[in-house]
Amino acid sequence: MTRLAMLFDASKCIGCKGCQVACKQWWGLPGSETEQTGSYENPADLGPNTWTRVTFHEYEEAGRTQWLFLAWGCVHCTQAACVDVCPTAALKHNELGLVSFERDLCNGCGYCTQACPFGVPRLEMANPLTGQAKASKCTFCQDRATNGLIPACVKTCPPGALEWGERDALIAKAKARVEWLKARGYAQAQLYGEKELGGLGRLFVLTAPPEAYGLPANPQYPTLAAGWQRGVQPFGYVAVGATVLGLAINWIATRRARLNNVEVIAPESEGEKEG
Amino acid sequence: MATAVTDLAPARRQVLVVRFTAGERIAHWMHFVAFTVLLGTGLFLYVPALQPFTIGAAGAASRLAHRAAALLFMAAPLVYLVWSPREFFGSLKDAFTWGPDDLGWLRAAWCYYTRGYACDMPPQGKYNAGQKFNALTQIITFNLFWITGFIMWFGKGTVPPTLFMWCVVIHDLSMIATVALFLLHLYLVAVHPLMRESITAMFEGTVTEEFAREHHGKWLAERVYRRRAEHNG
Repeated sequence: MTRLAMLFDASKCIGCKGCQVACKQWWGLPGSETEQTGSYENPADLGPNTWTRVTFHEYEEAGRTQWLFLAWGCVHCTQAACVDVCPTAALKHNELGLVSFERDLCNGCGYCTQACPFGVPRLEMANPLTGQAKASKCTFCQDRATNGLIPACVKTCPPGALEWGERDALIAKAKARVEWLKARGYAQAQLYGEKELGGLGRLFVLTAPPEAYGLPANPQYPTLAAGWQRGVQPFGYVAVGATVLGLAINWIATRRARLNNVEVIAPESEGEKEG
Repeated sequence: MATAVTDLAPARRQVLVVRFTAGERIAHWMHFVAFTVLLGTGLFLYVPALQPFTIGAAGAASRLAHRAAALLFMAAPLVYLVWSPREFFGSLKDAFTWGPDDLGWLRAAWCYYTRGYACDMPPQGKYNAGQKFNALTQIITFNLFWITGFIMWFGKGTVPPTLFMWCVVIHDLSMIATVALFLLHLYLVAVHPLMRESITAMFEGTVTEEFAREHHGKWLAERVYRRRAEHNG
């Protein structure tokens, strides 16, 4: 099936946080107590109950200050480190090309929270001592998306800064929008997410460099994430298999040597031994 | 002509040599139980076919069991240290003391492995080179296990993510090394046609004098006989 994606156009975002509220409403996520940090951001970070969040940034360029907004959440990487480290396949790419999450399968190991280059998945630790925990993150409303509906945040976005559709079409649209913005004085306007980590499922039209939005300019797939399941685990099977084989060879050799050195008698064989 | 049972020569009184103290044996079996539980519950995350054991009530139970067994695992050497300090430090010293006899053992090991008899095997101390190698690996992996395990248990989100991921990899590599040695160890004490007797050392604490002479001749002569002579004389 054609890969679907989300396009966030920062030049259209008004920072209303409607996406944040729609996300909580659709998923029944409780609000979390927050603190005044001197910013309009609220709550201050993504969390087990906050999968989408609008971040606010100030960016100054050539004496002109831009107030930047970013609808932030899981970007659904093609090379998804979280999928590669998840030992229970709770995280995987679904048929729409999105990184889906099955809460029932999650065993709370938290490997995804450590592997994600964007720091998106969060762990809700029910009991640190016994290790009972659940991870969570934005799934692009996998229940809606796989049934032909658009994600709740896209559905609600009043200025139309969030769009949902076929990824290729959205990329073409985003590129045209970047040119349009450049022609109107946004020299730094750019598309983010087309190539990063094999291509993101959440594309961004930005009016300033990624760093100005708190985005990594060059996000890197953590090498160890691939090494664990694709390197260490097969190596383990080979190493243990070779050990078993080595022991079997030794058993045959030793048993043969032992039988050569002993005389085995049985009640029926007494006469034969004499002869 | 049938041989009457009474015609058989009276059995010589068997001499048993004490090899492991009660403290050593209890620490060993604590380690064994902890290790097998840790391995069983750990493999749930390692082997995709065992994935059903990671979810629901089974998942909650296995996560708890892994953590409880980890405490037992860490307690085992402490029991060894407190209960049998002389043997603890003696064995530790043995494991780090390598000499010409160990080189001789390594030279003869291939022949013993492929042909099933000892060719020019020099008499060995309480632990032969193979056992010392096992002990050293156990000492190293024990520390890797508990340090990386501790970080994964309590350090998530506190330690840098790269360090956390290294902990997962090191924990796994330690597991692979110890599983290979564990299989070898099980094989030698339970399957190998010439060594099965060694398991009585860990169950009853003793081995026969014959076994000790054949497998640990230097230990029998230098530690057991001489120490006895000094003690009695």
